This record gives sequence, C-alpha cells and structure tokens, in this order.
Amino acid sequence: MSSSPGPMHCSKKSAVWFTEMCSVRLGKTLFAVPIAHILEIIGSARPQPVPLAPNFVGGLIHYRGEVLTTISLRYLLDLPPLDHPQDILVFESVGGCFGVLVDSVGEVFTLSSDDHEPNPSTLDERRKALFTGSYKLKGSLLVTLDPERLDPLYLCAAQAA
Amino acid sequence: MADELTREFLIESMECLDRMERCLTELEQRPNDAALLAEIFRSVHTIKGTTGFLGFKRLEKLAHAGENLLGLLRDGKLAASAPVITGLLQLLDGLRAVLKTIEANDNEGQNADTDLISQLESLQVFEPVAEPVIVAAVGSRPKLQRKKSPRLRSAQSASACAARLASMALDSTNPGPVPITVLPSPTSSASKPAPEDAPDANRSRPSSSGAAESTIRVDIALLNRMMNLVGELVLTRNQVLQATASDPALTLLSRRLDMVTADLRESVMKARMQPVSNVFSKMPRLVRDLSQALHRRVRLEMEGQETELDKSLLEAIKDPLTHAVRNALDHGIESPDIREASGKDPEGTLKLRAMQEGSHVIIEICDDGAGISAERIRVKAIERGLISAERAMQLPDRELLQLIFVPGFSTASRVTNISGRGVGMDVVRTNVEKIGGKVELDSRVGKGTVLRLRIPLTLAIIPALIVRSVGQSFALPQGALSELIHVPCDKASTAIEWIDRSPLYRLRGRLLPLVFLDRLLVPGTERTASSDCDRFIAVLDAEGRRFGLVVDGLADPEEIVVKPLNAALKGVGLYSGATVLGSGDLALILDLGSIAQRAEIGLTADSETDITPENLASAESAKATEYLLVDISGHRAAIPLAEVIRIEQLSASRIEYIGRRPVLNFEGHVLAIEDCGDVLAAAKADSSAQLIVVVCNRADRHVGIAVSHVLDVAAGADLLEAGANQRAEGATLLKDRVVGIVDIGKEMPPPSMNFTTIDGKRFAEAVQ
Repeated sequence: MSSSPGPMHCSKKSAVWFTEMCSVRLGKTLFAVPIAHILEIIGSARPQPVPLAPNFVGGLIHYRGEVLTTISLRYLLDLPPLDHPQDILVFESVGGCFGVLVDSVGEVFTLSSDDHEPNPSTLDERRKALFTGSYKLKGSLLVTLDPERLDPLYLCAAQAA
Repeated sequence: MADELTREFLIESMECLDRMERCLTELEQRPNDAALLAEIFRSVHTIKGTTGFLGFKRLEKLAHAGENLLGLLRDGKLAASAPVITGLLQLLDGLRAVLKTIEANDNEGQNADTDLISQLESLQVFEPVAEPVIVAAVGSRPKLQRKKSPRLRSAQSASACAARLASMALDSTNPGPVPITVLPSPTSSASKPAPEDAPDANRSRPSSSGAAESTIRVDIALLNRMMNLVGELVLTRNQVLQATASDPALTLLSRRLDMVTADLRESVMKARMQPVSNVFSKMPRLVRDLSQALHRRVRLEMEGQETELDKSLLEAIKDPLTHAVRNALDHGIESPDIREASGKDPEGTLKLRAMQEGSHVIIEICDDGAGISAERIRVKAIERGLISAERAMQLPDRELLQLIFVPGFSTASRVTNISGRGVGMDVVRTNVEKIGGKVELDSRVGKGTVLRLRIPLTLAIIPALIVRSVGQSFALPQGALSELIHVPCDKASTAIEWIDRSPLYRLRGRLLPLVFLDRLLVPGTERTASSDCDRFIAVLDAEGRRFGLVVDGLADPEEIVVKPLNAALKGVGLYSGATVLGSGDLALILDLGSIAQRAEIGLTADSETDITPENLASAESAKATEYLLVDISGHRAAIPLAEVIRIEQLSASRIEYIGRRPVLNFEGHVLAIEDCGDVLAAAKADSSAQLIVVVCNRADRHVGIAVSHVLDVAAGADLLEAGANQRAEGATLLKDRVVGIVDIGKEMPPPSMNFTTIDGKRFAEAVQ
C-alpha cells in the first residue's frame, strides 16, 4: 500500500506520522476512512431493505455466511437515496460487523498528520458528530470519517438521545 | 494455565463433587443408606488421593478432615444429622472453592481453612446412633426425588429416541406444520419412588468405567464451530438443491448431498444434546439451603429430567432457573404457619417439569404458594412510576403480571439476601429471550404461580415457511403455523370482512382476526391496492394469540439457518433474525408473538387453560375473552365473540312480528330478535332503513340481537366489584370503558318450547 499514488506531504519534523486512508465518494464530496479499520470492501451491492427499521439503516446483505446490517451514509449526510447499486465498506465493532453504503470507493492515500485539521467551529453539529476533521489536499479537502460513529449501535443511541 | 494433568484432575474432581452433592441431599432423606455414604466417602477419598499426588497440600488437608468425619459416618459411629450434612456441604463448597482457585491461579492459595477444618472436627463428637435423626428440626423435609446418575448411559439412550423424533420434526421439509410432540413419560425415573436400599452407587460404578472408554471429552468451542459449519453446509445444500432442480443428471447427486447433510446435522446436534437433569440436579441443594434460610418447608418434585437440550442452551437456562426457584421459595411459598392458617398443607410443593413440545422444550416452575396479586403489582407499578395510573387501570391482569419482568420491579415488601431486589425476574426474561426463548407467567392468588420457560431445541436451524409481502421474502417459523388459506382475488373482497378498521375472516364459523403484513410493515399501504390480487392467510398460534397473517404469496417451506440481526434492529421488535434463502436472497424472520402484540390481538381463552397446569386449571379459565363491541341506541354493549355466529345487515322490512315479538326468517329458520335498545322501533318508521343483527349461539339456541352499529372486536378484562373483590358479572373492561355484556341467556327468557313451536307454525303460515 505504501506505493499507492497520491500526494505526499512529507515533513521534516519527527512527530509526523502517516496514515493510509481510503477515499470514498458520496455525491460530489470525497471522504476518507482509515484503511486499517476496513475489513473488506464489497462492490456494487443491493442491500435488502428492512421495513420499519431506523432511517439510517440501508438494508441487509449476505456477507460471508452472516447477515450484515448496512448504514446509509447518504441518509446521514442528507443526500437523496440512489437507485443503482452502491459499494459497501465492512467494519468490525463490538456488536459485530456492519457495512457502510457509499457511492463508490476511490483510491488509497498515504496522508501525513501534518495536513490534518480538526473540524471548523462553523460546521453543523450533526456533521461534527460524524467527521473527525479533514486533510488538506492540493486541490481539495478530504473529510475524515470516524467508523466508530457510523456503528449502528452508536447511531441508535445517538438517535434516542 | 494449568497443565494437562492438573486440568484433568480439576474436571474429574468437579464431577466427584457434583456427585457428592447429589448424594448428600439424598442422604438427608435416608440417613442410614450405606451405599450413599460409601459413594460420598469414595468421592472425598479420590480427591484426597490425587491431591497428595499432585502436591496440593491445602486441598489434601481439607479433604482429610472431611474423610475423617465421613469415616465415622460410614462405620455407623455417627448419625447423619442435619448439622453433619450441613458441615459436609460446607466442606464441599470449600473444596470447590479451592479447585476454582487452582483453575484460575494455578496454585491453591494461602488460606488455611482452619475454621472449616475445626468445624468438621467438632462434628466428630460421638452421638448415640440409635436415636432417630431429626431431619424435620431444620424446618425442611424435602422429599427429594431420586435422580438418575448422569453416568448411567441408559438415561441418554432413553432420551435419544425423543431427540431423534425431535430432529425428525426439524428435518422434515413438508409444507404443513409438523406438530410432533414428544410427551415425556410420566413414569420417568424422576417420579420413581426411591428404593430404600438403593444399590445406585454400586451400579453406576462399572458402567462409568465402561463409558469412559467409549466417550471422549470435546471442547465446547469445537462443537460450536462444527454447528456453525453445518449451518453453512445446510445453506449451501439449499442453494445447490435449487440450482440443480432442473438438471436430471445432478438430481441424484444433490439428493445424496441432501441426505448426508441432514444426517450430519442431526449427529452434530445430538452431540450437543444433554439431559436437563444436568441443571435440575443443582436444584435439590438450592432448595434445601433456601428453605432452611427462609424457614419454609418445601417438597421438590422434578419431572422429565431426561428431556434433552442443546448444551449451550442448557448453560443459558441455569441462571434463569436458579432465579426462578429462589423467587418461588422467597415470594411464592409461604411459611408453614401461614400455609396452615390458610388451610394448605404446611409443606409447600415446588414442581420442576421439563418436556418437549415440537421444536421447543418447556420448563415449568410451579409452586403452590401465595400467587401474585395483580392489585399489588398495579399499586407497586404506579408507585415506582413504571406506568401511569390510568394505564394501570386499563391493563388486564394478565398483562399486569408481565410487569414483574421489568427491571427494578419487586413486590417484596422487604429486600432479603435471597431476592426482592427486583433483579430476579428481569434476569430470567433477558436470559431466556437472549436464546430465543419465551417466558410466560400465570398466577392465581392463593393458589400458586407457574413460570413457563419456552426454550428452542436448538438455536441454529428451524423449519420455516417463506412468504412474500411488500416485494420481499419473510420467514414464518413453522412451529406457530397451524394452517394456510388461499383467498383468490375475486373472492378477496367478500372473504375478508371488516368491522370498522379490523379485518376478520370466518374460519369454520369462527371469526379470526387478521393482520395484513404489508400494512403492518409499510404503514399507509392502501386497502384497495392490496385487495385486487390473490391473498394467503397463514393461521398462526403465537404465544396464545391466534390470528391470521395476510401475505401476498407463498414460497416453499425451507429449513433456515437463523442469523442474528444487528442490535440496532432489535428496536423494531418484529424480527427475530434473518436468514439466507436457497435462492441466495435474504429473508427476515418474523417474530410472530410481537406481531400479534403490535396488532393488539388478544389472548385466546383456549390457550390460557393450556398454559395452566392441572393444579391451577380451575374453572376460571376464560379470563381475557374477546368481545364484539356494539352500539345499541347509543349505549355500548359487549357480546362474547365466541358466541357470535354471524353479523347480518338487512333492511328493516325483513323483520316480522309474531304478536309483539320480532322475528326474522333466517335461512329458513325462525330467529327471535332481541331488541333491548328499541333499535327496531326506531327503524320501524323508515322501512328502507338498514338493520344490523348479530346472530349468536348460546346453549344450542340461536338468537338475533338488533344493534345500531358494530364497533370493534376487543379483549375484555375482568372487573372487580368494588369492595367485594369478586368478579363483576355482566360487565367487562373493554377499551378502557366499562361495558355491559349482553347476556343472551337472560335476554331470551326461557320461552316454553310449545310457545315457540306454536308461534313457529303461525310464522310459517304468515310467510306463506
């Protein structure tokens, strides 16, 4: 993975560390998820809807003999639902595995902690809860997502609160 | 981690102690049983011998002290009095604790156990043996039933038959329900009277050595993994079967795969089965200790111990069962003097029953104690803010009883160290539901309480019917399915009848409440949109609620592998899991009990008697009867639904009069019409007016009741007469309003037979 393309902002300071981030696209925005957290990526899947489930649940898919609950990131970001199949990132959490539906999975970047900045104070509270900050790329910003905050159990608790 | 030798020693010693515990509780009943004493002595001696070899000094010392005491008992120099047995039980606990320490820390710890050892020594004071042993002095005289030694292989083989039948039930892929019920034989070893000079110990010896050669110990984790793999294999088999169905060359092969998979699954399941006696055998000691601590006199009866259950499920019910027994003793069974005062046998009975019912094992804990007062629960629930006062008044007693499962709820007036902190019942329900089981509670004040744990035989694989609704597949567990009805699209509008917004179906003359799955799952689905296609009604019996589930289509029945759903979806409450179908599609498994509850289907009277065991099945069975709620000239009235034959809408001109008595020519018969609210008089003026007549059946007579409107079908609750604590006759609580019950017997003054016949003739003339 170290040979993966992408801008490298190497710094001379010793406290800098590099993280490999997987980029995912939703609508027009690029998001980044630490690749170490991703268990697997499933291409173009059509999850089966669950009637009466919480809104953020994107449906169920068959994943390695288990039934995987997926989260609709589009719903969380207030984007309209898509008709065509989406990609799924599989994460592991205390309550078992879960999937996150994204429009498409892009390239993997190796990013320096130097380029990372926390959420701006002007950001909407709901977004702040989902994002952990952003990387400053050359032409754009790469918003980082915290997989723990996409855990259906966490979202359930957040919704109840 | 302990080395191999020590681990083996630990397992064997634990087994020794388990056996010793059972023998000790039995010894209390038969203090002079030499065989029992020999068995106990042998257990302690074995432990002592091995500990010396392994170098566990602390354990050896403790075992030695016990052996000394037991030696005196065996030689008849000391009588097995209650204090001696208590001392020996304490020794057992002490030994167990040390073994646990070894297991955890690999050493036996520093404690010297001097207290226990000196206590055991003080018990060695000679007592005249001739004197009868005063077992009753301890307050308990449990007539414990003899249990089967787990070493006896015959126990396994006797129940192997039951297990085989059960797995056959699971295995069959017949479309219909598979109501194979394996009744436990009442003459099981558990109910056998204990022979006075049981050569039990001697018998179990040789067989145990034989069993040791033909059995091996297998890690539970390995068994679990095997079960998961078999589950995967079943899934793959289902897919292969569907994929090869059209290819004759592969059919033979796939058929063989099918058979081998079924056999393999059965074998793996059987490997995990253990008799419930493994858990039940802990109860005599528990009951003994508790009844002494609480000063109760309790007789423990156990039945159906050979019933087998999956090992992991057996583990899971251990805690709930212990809690339930604690509760029964602490809150259920009263102290001897109170029992005597209320005219009961001073010795209470606690009955543990296990039986297999289809793909479930039922475990019942019945006591003949004070029962649970719904009134007290109501007061406590309001006091603790669990429900509002109005809600508490509306809830029927049966549902009020369920409140004791709410965390933090306890009706005990004081907290004892045994129970009353309000965690017990909550733990029972959570643990049982965690493994897909159900808890039912039934209680009669002054008569006792029955707690019924319904445990699935196995967690992993269940037979299910796949149905279609809202364009998706759903799985209905076949255990709850009793029949299927096809409603062709052209008949859909007439076959499904409506009372206001409640759909009903006439099933063999009885009205069956219906639940539309699509409307339940997607609120707002149009009524018209769904009525122009074929429909199927699955008649279900879920937790005592009988109803019809209306679905769009049926697929094949399938053996499904239950996959858990993410906890985030538990809140929906309608699904008990999901599964992967042969087609590769996913299907949600419907939780029928919750669906019935969501749709407010009442409990049927039949099932209520069914839940209650014989000793409680008193006359008051029809508690939550369903009523047809009608409006008679502005007054609400209730007609028991069971008595309603049909609801007839007709024009007022069809009503004819014989004298002053209104009658109706109803399918060629004279039907007397009761008009208690002057509905007919109001309609008389306008001959084109429409009338609604509810045709009822009471004691083989048909009566029509003229009503203004039919409102609803609802489950009624009993009302108590103020101050009298007696059931009010002729009134019920329906939809939080007091409603009078139309008493058909009373409405119809027993007309002398000749009156009717004469009038009948005259009526016939009039018609002609």
